[in-house]
Amino acid sequence: MNTMREERQPTRLWRVKDRVFHYLRAINAENIKEWRIELKYKPDFIRQFFEPFVYLFPYFLYGFALLGGRYSEHLRSLTGISDMIAYTFIGYLFIGFLNTACWAMGFSLRKEQWFGTLETIFVAPVPRWVYVAGMALHSTCHQGLIMLIQAVVITTFFAIVLQTSGLFLSLVVVLLMLLGLYGLGIIVAGLTIALKQWWVVSEALATLIVVVTPIAYPLAVLPFVLRKVSMFLPTTYGIIGVRHFLLGEELVVGLPTIILRLSIILVVWLTFGMLVFLIMDRFGRKRGSLSIY
Amino acid sequence: MWVIVEEVRKSFAILFAYPVEVVFWIFSPLLWVIPLVFQGKALIGAFSSTPFGALAGTDEFIPYVLIGAIISTYMFSAVWSMGNSFRDETYYGTLEHILSAPVRPVYILVGKGVYNSVLSTLFVIVQLLICVFIFGLEITLAKIFPIFLFLLLLIVGLYGIGFMAAAVTLLIKESHGIIHLFEYVLFLFSPIRYPVEVNPITKTISVFIPLTYALIALRGLLLNIDFNFWKNSVILLGIDCAIIPLGLFIFYKIEKRTKTRGTLADY
Repeated sequence: MNTMREERQPTRLWRVKDRVFHYLRAINAENIKEWRIELKYKPDFIRQFFEPFVYLFPYFLYGFALLGGRYSEHLRSLTGISDMIAYTFIGYLFIGFLNTACWAMGFSLRKEQWFGTLETIFVAPVPRWVYVAGMALHSTCHQGLIMLIQAVVITTFFAIVLQTSGLFLSLVVVLLMLLGLYGLGIIVAGLTIALKQWWVVSEALATLIVVVTPIAYPLAVLPFVLRKVSMFLPTTYGIIGVRHFLLGEELVVGLPTIILRLSIILVVWLTFGMLVFLIMDRFGRKRGSLSIY
Repeated sequence: MWVIVEEVRKSFAILFAYPVEVVFWIFSPLLWVIPLVFQGKALIGAFSSTPFGALAGTDEFIPYVLIGAIISTYMFSAVWSMGNSFRDETYYGTLEHILSAPVRPVYILVGKGVYNSVLSTLFVIVQLLICVFIFGLEITLAKIFPIFLFLLLLIVGLYGIGFMAAAVTLLIKESHGIIHLFEYVLFLFSPIRYPVEVNPITKTISVFIPLTYALIALRGLLLNIDFNFWKNSVILLGIDCAIIPLGLFIFYKIEKRTKTRGTLADY
């Protein structure tokens, strides 16, 4: 009996290993496919590298118009940082991952529907989440590249000095925030199956998150209710954490609390996201609305 | 005329199939203002700013950005909706059908323009009513006619740009990049969120954008800021007279070219 068990053990392990590699290959195939499609439309691909500047500069110019300069004493009294440009830039830089979650991941299924390939990929011999994971991988690589270019250009142009000693811990916080946002991306992708007009869901969620996340302002200026809502978002902890490490912003919550809450949020959001996705997938099939526009 | 009416009716039928979209477009421009209000509060600690007043003509920055957000509804509609109107038909699989119908394609384009103008105006009216009843914006009846005059002049100018955007979509297909480029130029260089006088580059480029003159006039009327009524009206009219024929000419040429080259059905 024991001998039989010992013989079966490696087989089972091999099966698991095979399956994991099979999924990883599918995830990478999805990633490569997305790069290929994007590189087919070169003007649009190049445009995406300019887009963050277009949305960031109005914050800068609006701040300049209000202050008549770059520095704010009131901002210093609230956060310990007086440089409006550096403060806004760091906040805006990492919120780019929100676009990854809401737009790229949410848009993925709708796009396949437009291409007429949704049904084809849904009958592929992999679970549905593998497809979304492939999109997440691609979007993270793409968004990471966009952010890197943005960071180099803005820090050089505006002579922003960052605390390089905080870089490693910043990346840890960003990683946790990113995983939490993947949960959101999976929710949006799932809702797209049922609601079809994916972009309304994406835009509404992104707008609400942008409002309550302290991108260009500290939590202190938010009304009480919005401040409480922001405590459930990974972007809040991600951005205040990164700004603390890179610019020395005074923290309203302790660092261990930030890490703990980010970890809890990522587990809850990922679980909830997967749940919504699976329910919506089943719902779409049951109603036969998968191929409906 | 019937073609235009039918195009408008069809577009409304599609819109009402997605009612969430209607709610979204009414509220989103107002939501986009909220971060600017909080940013102002964080930077100044109050809701008025003297440096802002020196540039914009009013110290109160909240009504300033609120009006910019509401009027930008037309910009998004003209550039984004018009630019994507024919691309959407490609996705629906109906582009070849409507362009091979026994009517001139320009009527279908004008129908799409009329639909987007009517829809945007409805959104703007609801948004203004929200501002009047919730934020206490005051609009006297005597101002309604000049407000509509400037809105009309703005719509005509923007839809000239929209016609060009629609034409470019027929040519380039996945034209998100070009449409966004139109949108970015309007968004960055017109006084939607900030007075363009804050930077010499924005100030110079804004001179060529119809939205600039419309926003100056509309803010002047709604917030009692001094502005030159006739100068802004004549400039907007001049831009309209130039941009509409240009937009239609570009559409006509590109539509003919895509049919000649047989690329209409390409993705």
